[in-house]
Amino acid sequence: MLDGILTGLSTAVTPINLLMVFVGCFAGTFIGMLPGLGPISAIALMIPITYGFDPSTGMILMAGVYYGAIFGGSTSSILINAPGVAGTVATAFDGYPLAKQGHAGKALAIAAYSSFSGGTIAAIFLLIAAPALASVALSFQSADYFALMILGLTAVSAFAGKGKFLIAILMTMLGLMLSTIGQDQSGIQRFTFGAIDLIDGLSFLLLAMATFALSEALMVVLKPEATSKEAEKATKGDLGSMKITKEEVKDLAPVVARSSVLGFFIGVLPGAGATIASFLAYGMERNFASAKEKLKFGKGSLRGLAAPETANNAASSGSFVPLLTLGIPGSGTTAVMLGALISYGVQPGPRLFVENPAVFWSVIISMYIGNIILLVLNLPLIPYIARLLALPKQILTPMILFFSLIGVYLVSANTIDIQIMVLVAIIAIFLRLIDFPLAPMLLGFILGGLMEDNLRRALDIYDGEISFMWERPLTASILAITAVILFAPMIKGLIDIRRNKALKVNDGEG
Amino acid sequence: MTLSKEKAGALCFLVVAIAYGYMTGDIPSLPSDKFAPMTASTLPTFLAWITGVLSFLLLILPQRGETDDFLSVFKGLNWIRTFTLLALMVAYGASFNWLGFNLATILFLTASVYVLGERRWKVILLTSIPVTLAFWFILTKLLEITLREGELYFTVINLLGLN
Repeated sequence: MLDGILTGLSTAVTPINLLMVFVGCFAGTFIGMLPGLGPISAIALMIPITYGFDPSTGMILMAGVYYGAIFGGSTSSILINAPGVAGTVATAFDGYPLAKQGHAGKALAIAAYSSFSGGTIAAIFLLIAAPALASVALSFQSADYFALMILGLTAVSAFAGKGKFLIAILMTMLGLMLSTIGQDQSGIQRFTFGAIDLIDGLSFLLLAMATFALSEALMVVLKPEATSKEAEKATKGDLGSMKITKEEVKDLAPVVARSSVLGFFIGVLPGAGATIASFLAYGMERNFASAKEKLKFGKGSLRGLAAPETANNAASSGSFVPLLTLGIPGSGTTAVMLGALISYGVQPGPRLFVENPAVFWSVIISMYIGNIILLVLNLPLIPYIARLLALPKQILTPMILFFSLIGVYLVSANTIDIQIMVLVAIIAIFLRLIDFPLAPMLLGFILGGLMEDNLRRALDIYDGEISFMWERPLTASILAITAVILFAPMIKGLIDIRRNKALKVNDGEG
Repeated sequence: MTLSKEKAGALCFLVVAIAYGYMTGDIPSLPSDKFAPMTASTLPTFLAWITGVLSFLLLILPQRGETDDFLSVFKGLNWIRTFTLLALMVAYGASFNWLGFNLATILFLTASVYVLGERRWKVILLTSIPVTLAFWFILTKLLEITLREGELYFTVINLLGLN
């Protein structure tokens, strides 16, 4: 492990990689701060730039953008109650009331310190957990991978929200369907309609850009929101003191410790991610709080701010565990990173740890550096970065559209891709308007090809029999967990429906 | 009768599943497929069935939560601006090879900023021209990515007899 850490350290501290952490954190903070644009868009916008670099540098840049975006989301949550990122919605519960009370500076400082602590503690866990899991995963076979991918796709849907399970599964199916476009392994063309441009299938970058960056930017135009007074005030740099007292630090230390552990483990689970981690941490701290402290929650509690902020950053680091060790992304954001890694020619998974130790370790080491940069760079710069919130949308939106379009064009050098992007963006807008989540679709698209390959291999090994699903204990266990995740919400839904019916009958009788 | 967002989406997915399932019939098969455990159409067929069944379930299961008409979500939105931007993007893609990167991008950014409500030409031009030129410089001079000149450029050069 020490060799690995040294390899990672030597790669991460090269001038270009340090520059990329810096650029990534800064760009991520900026994009994450813009309401409407999330980390998936932020990373997708960076991918065309990363094609010119080696895989380690590309991954370091994207990782920097990821936690920068989460941090940036907190800034807009606190200052204008408009979370740029879903993972920072819980931050606004107490961060925004604090800002309204004139303590915006303190709230931002606590957010920065909590993010730093959560990110750093989780990076230490990652350092221990990732190699251990990767070593175990080296014994995995195609059947296990196939089962793991089914688990990943199901889990993402299970965490989609109340009543959204079937919808998320359908979106995953759509992603899987899109992944079948193009030539299959045996050279047979599927759903290409004779178009040469479709033989290689849909480009992952095109899909990610069109469904996230492009459609998110267009949604801002479609549903314009008036600039609030808070945004104007925030842009003037009037944030109040950023000092935190010793008592506050003492009070918040256990909160940060608890939320870091919780956030990391939630992040490791496929599908859960920063949003669920932040809500759970917020709920956990409210339960732990005394009756007096409990009343402060939602009205400007420092604990209520520190808990989700710590957890969402810890979860962001945690979500790298399944990506780096199993090659299975746990969230839409890490799915985009997986797609990028595959396009660099790097196959993520346990072999990454053996074959590309520089990529594996440098990403982990860069997380420490990224967290330090976020703290050192962003904290003093917050009053100035906050002014970016006032950048006129009429300037910003065309820039995002341009970067998305040209980013895809630069990779394919085919202007047809721009037209396809427009078409995909229109479909994505429709799906957004009817509240069908897009992240499961992207995950399905990225995992579709890998899933089919592993299933094919597993069937070849087992002479075309599907008995591998129950004959291999590991495969059977993973599929059993999948079945629990899959059927639990359905059974719960049916119970709810029966209960509601029974209540209605009782009401009618009464 | 109103159709909720969820049910409308389910209906769309059912149509997609049927169309996708129908098209799986067009996937050619190899002579060796008779003995292969998995062919090119195995996964698509499975996906079509699963999507069809799930979307049908979503369509017939009782509605949970909101029941508002799905058409209402399309009302009161800034469609004109959005579709004008989409049209500009299509035009950008279509004119790119003919106008070349610089001219096509300057025109696209200028028109987009204008469509979004900016009327001060100084601001519009100070946004579109420097951004385009800076981006061109980074791509061609720093990253050494070749951006082919547009047909228009060669036409003008030929007309002026400069080649």
